[in-house]
Amino acid sequence: MNFDYTLFIPEFMLGGLAALVVALDLFMPQLRKSWLPYVAATGLAITAGVSLAWVNKQTNFAGIVSIDNYTTYFRVFFMLIAAVVCLASGRLVEDQLRHPGEYFGIIILSTIGAIGMAAARELMTAYLSLELLSFSLYILVSFAKFDARSNEAGLKYLLLGAFSSAMFLYGLSLIYGVTGSTYYGDIASALSRGTHDFSFALLMALVLIIAGLGFKVAAVPFHMWTPDAYEGAPIAITAYLSTTSKAAGFALLLRLFGGAFQVVHDDWSWMIAGVAAASMILGNLVALQQHNIKRLMAYSSIGQIGYLLMGVAGLSHNTASALVLHLTGYMVTNLALFVVIIAWYNLTGKEEIVDFRGMRERAPLLAGALAGALFSLAGLPLFAGFVTKFILFQAATDQGYYWLAGIGVVTSVISLYYYLQVMREAFVSQPAEGERKLQVPYVMQGLTVALMAGVFYVGLYPANLFSVIDNATRFLFV
Amino acid sequence: MTVPEGIVWAIFLLPVASLVTVTFVTKPFPRLSGFVTIAAIGLAWVFALWTLGAVIHSGGEPLHFGTYRWLRIATDNPVLNGIGGPNLDITLGLRIDGLSAIMLVVVTSVSLLVQIYSQGYMEGDGGYSRYFAYMSLFTAAMLGLVIVNSIIFIYVFWELVGLGSYLLIGFWFNKQTASDAAKKAFLTTRLGDIGFLLAILLIWTKTNTFNIPMLQTMAQNNQISDGVITLFALGMFAGAVGKSAQFPLHVWLPDAMEGPTPVSALIHAATMVAAGVYLVARMFPVFQASTEAMRTVAYIGGFTAIFAASIALVMSDIKRVLAYSTISQLGYMMLALGLGGYVAAIFHLLTHAFFKALLFLGSGSVNHATGTFDMRKMGGLRKYMPFTYATFLVGSLSLSGIVPFAGFWSKDEILANAWGDNKLLWAVAMTVVFMTALYTFRAVFLTFEGDYKGGEPSAHGEGAAAHGSGHRMPHESPWVMVLPMLVLAVPALLAGFVNFPMQSTQALGHLLEGALPASSAAALGNEKFNVLLAASSTLLALLGIGLAYAIYEAKLVRAEELRKIWGPLATLVERKYYLDDLYEGLVVRDGLYNVVCAVAQWFDTHVVDFAVNGAGQVTRKAGDTLRRVQSGSVQAYGSVGFAGVVLAAFLMLVLLER
Repeated sequence: MNFDYTLFIPEFMLGGLAALVVALDLFMPQLRKSWLPYVAATGLAITAGVSLAWVNKQTNFAGIVSIDNYTTYFRVFFMLIAAVVCLASGRLVEDQLRHPGEYFGIIILSTIGAIGMAAARELMTAYLSLELLSFSLYILVSFAKFDARSNEAGLKYLLLGAFSSAMFLYGLSLIYGVTGSTYYGDIASALSRGTHDFSFALLMALVLIIAGLGFKVAAVPFHMWTPDAYEGAPIAITAYLSTTSKAAGFALLLRLFGGAFQVVHDDWSWMIAGVAAASMILGNLVALQQHNIKRLMAYSSIGQIGYLLMGVAGLSHNTASALVLHLTGYMVTNLALFVVIIAWYNLTGKEEIVDFRGMRERAPLLAGALAGALFSLAGLPLFAGFVTKFILFQAATDQGYYWLAGIGVVTSVISLYYYLQVMREAFVSQPAEGERKLQVPYVMQGLTVALMAGVFYVGLYPANLFSVIDNATRFLFV
Repeated sequence: MTVPEGIVWAIFLLPVASLVTVTFVTKPFPRLSGFVTIAAIGLAWVFALWTLGAVIHSGGEPLHFGTYRWLRIATDNPVLNGIGGPNLDITLGLRIDGLSAIMLVVVTSVSLLVQIYSQGYMEGDGGYSRYFAYMSLFTAAMLGLVIVNSIIFIYVFWELVGLGSYLLIGFWFNKQTASDAAKKAFLTTRLGDIGFLLAILLIWTKTNTFNIPMLQTMAQNNQISDGVITLFALGMFAGAVGKSAQFPLHVWLPDAMEGPTPVSALIHAATMVAAGVYLVARMFPVFQASTEAMRTVAYIGGFTAIFAASIALVMSDIKRVLAYSTISQLGYMMLALGLGGYVAAIFHLLTHAFFKALLFLGSGSVNHATGTFDMRKMGGLRKYMPFTYATFLVGSLSLSGIVPFAGFWSKDEILANAWGDNKLLWAVAMTVVFMTALYTFRAVFLTFEGDYKGGEPSAHGEGAAAHGSGHRMPHESPWVMVLPMLVLAVPALLAGFVNFPMQSTQALGHLLEGALPASSAAALGNEKFNVLLAASSTLLALLGIGLAYAIYEAKLVRAEELRKIWGPLATLVERKYYLDDLYEGLVVRDGLYNVVCAVAQWFDTHVVDFAVNGAGQVTRKAGDTLRRVQSGSVQAYGSVGFAGVVLAAFLMLVLLER
């Protein structure tokens, strides 16, 4: 047994950072408003740098947490997302929320949970990490204390989250019951000895686990909380919900199903395939009828989750790499889009799609990034969305899921339709009388440019990123 | 004569460079943006000629260039490990042979002339720099599409071409019709791309390569099963149907005329719409391996040719006449390809690019003078615009296929092919010859003969500074617009001689056949020039012109009388066979929006309600605190989630029963 606590240095640093941010807010109030996001983001970036020390080292902590390239990849990934969200929420927190220290502190803590989900190779650790992330999110969603919508969304999210956690936990306990272990590796070897004696219990467990995780990543038919939570949450938290929370769900899903359940692939792949198909179809069709940008993004993300689940259905080393690549590209695109939405909201206070009117005249940079991000989501070449989605579809067809890839291709075209509707408002509709050009803060400009550069980087030359990811996902199946 | 690889890449990279320069540097200086773009494309044109020289030297056979790895996808599939090494590579390389070299010259020359013309046409437009940036983007994408040797990169550039077209059609985005047309074009062509993308997914799964020469060889050597080949070919053809505006996805092209006219000349006459034909020609060895696919291509093409020509007969907007004419002529090319007339199709693509671009530029010039595209408001322009008239006439004679204009030779080769292969399609093609001459000269007579009917009284050309406004009488366009038309008139007159049938070696045919694998080239039909056929088609064309003269110039028969005789049939054609209404009304609005989406939405909200009334009732009474959650939908959501679990468990039980 390896009890090397130094493996957790990045997490300890994050814990310290969270404490520091809260303390700064409490004891140095003159600092707190404008500087906290920078402190938080800098700390996160430094910690991300520190965690690179574990590149290409394969080790574990007592068999419950594995520190390998996969963990390192997601450590850096989640910390950078959190840093972007912290920077993007600066103005928002200042203007509309109280207790900025707690806000940033909780974001940092939730990152620890997300990392744990990617790193865990043991059921209870996975569950606890999931709960750490979820509880942080419940608070963050309802952080706008005096906004009834935010409170309602938070409560709904809490109740449904608790419900799904219960299902997930029940599934885990069944797995423990039939295999006698909570370690992924032991579960896999127990399952490979034959499942005949407990096939029903195993299937019940798989159903419950898929349903529980389905709630977390918002896959149809477990998606209903998404539009409400997206709409009610403070807009920066909507961005956080649509990125870290989803990505962490997939990080856990890949590690768990790759490490423990790959031997009984046939028992669950059809369920995931069905959920994927339903998500792609329903998400994209309902998105066509939304008028609020947050609700639109909610349904669009449900559709995107469908594409990602396609990779889980035909799980293999190839599909896992393709999935993580698409996940990365999608997250970068999504963040770019949300930075635009947040910046626009900060400047105009509006979040309906029709309120984007005149963006081209009033904030050309934002409008350009909006167009780029939407094109990427719709899967056009040059942008990240095309390559990553194509490789994912390709991986799925390689595993024989032609029909899923077919649904994916068709729904992508449908999605272009509603993305173009959003663009039309931003580009075609003229600004109302007296609305003049807006000055977008430099932070937001910088973030927009950086994220769009990321979108193009992934879209034009994904080879380097892909080999990094490929190097990470090979540890999933050990 | 050889060409360095860098020069070929430069053909593609020059417009990319001008795009970047215009966007980031010269944007505030419109005229400079125009010059930068023209210089870049001019240089690309020189390089394209150089490349063509090298290809002529090699007899049309592919030149040898490097291949670069773009992405390596590892695989853990042991079977694949045995075949293609431990990894699968997506590579990028050049494919320069007779076919692509000719396309390069066509694209760069038309693009160059159109840019020069645009300087006059777009003068004073607020988005002048933006216009040239989009034009650069489009030209780069189109050139990229032509030079690459990998089907996946063809697809990438294919989509970018679509994006460029979207941006340019909607260039005047403040105009509702323009932005609607742009969206329609983008979405309709992407509908076809579904098939294209699925075909690519399929072929990679089956062959592990995107490399076009390899796919061609595999198809020719029967290394791919018949079913897969047919699906692959049909999928690609679906993409081509979208891009080349073939029935039933043709509806976007006439609407695309909302864009600036030079755009129509470049994109919707000479290049982007020809991309579909190019794709089929590029993958011709694959199509040859599937009779079903070939037949589909031929019949879709033939039907489109006659169908679109019939609509062109009744349109009153000169640009729409040209648009339907383009659809019809593209159908002609597809028909030729489907009947194995690979050389004939590309020959026609080449001549058509020149004379149709010329006609579009002519219509733009007319609009510049009169402020309208409505032929009923024109007339008598011959007197005022002698150069426009003369060049338009050359284009029209070429389009109608009169000896010795370019269109005659290429069209005749198609007819000869059809005659040898399929008499039904030959008859269709002959009818189209007659109709083409009729609608073309209808446009000529209505626009240039008779008396001037005053143009658009409110006198706004489509451009911001159309010169028609304020002038009582129309006048000839400035020289930057006339010059490109004069230049284009030369190939519209003479391009037919590049494949002159009397010569012992048909230069173009030789080049194009060099681009095919030997077995594929050997299978091409070798149709001889048939004097009788040529004479009868010319006669038909002359008859068409004569009829147009009789109706619209000599007024022997009044057009209104004719229309009355045809009655409902005329209405049917004028409404474009109600296809636009069918698609927009029934399929998109009623079908997709009102039914499918509504069902999805209903499912999303009302299944929830159902659950509330059922399972949720009890919990609602119990949970007093939960009342604060308005509508109590949490229980409902939970119930639905639970129902999902129960359903999955049920399915699972059924599965276990097996």
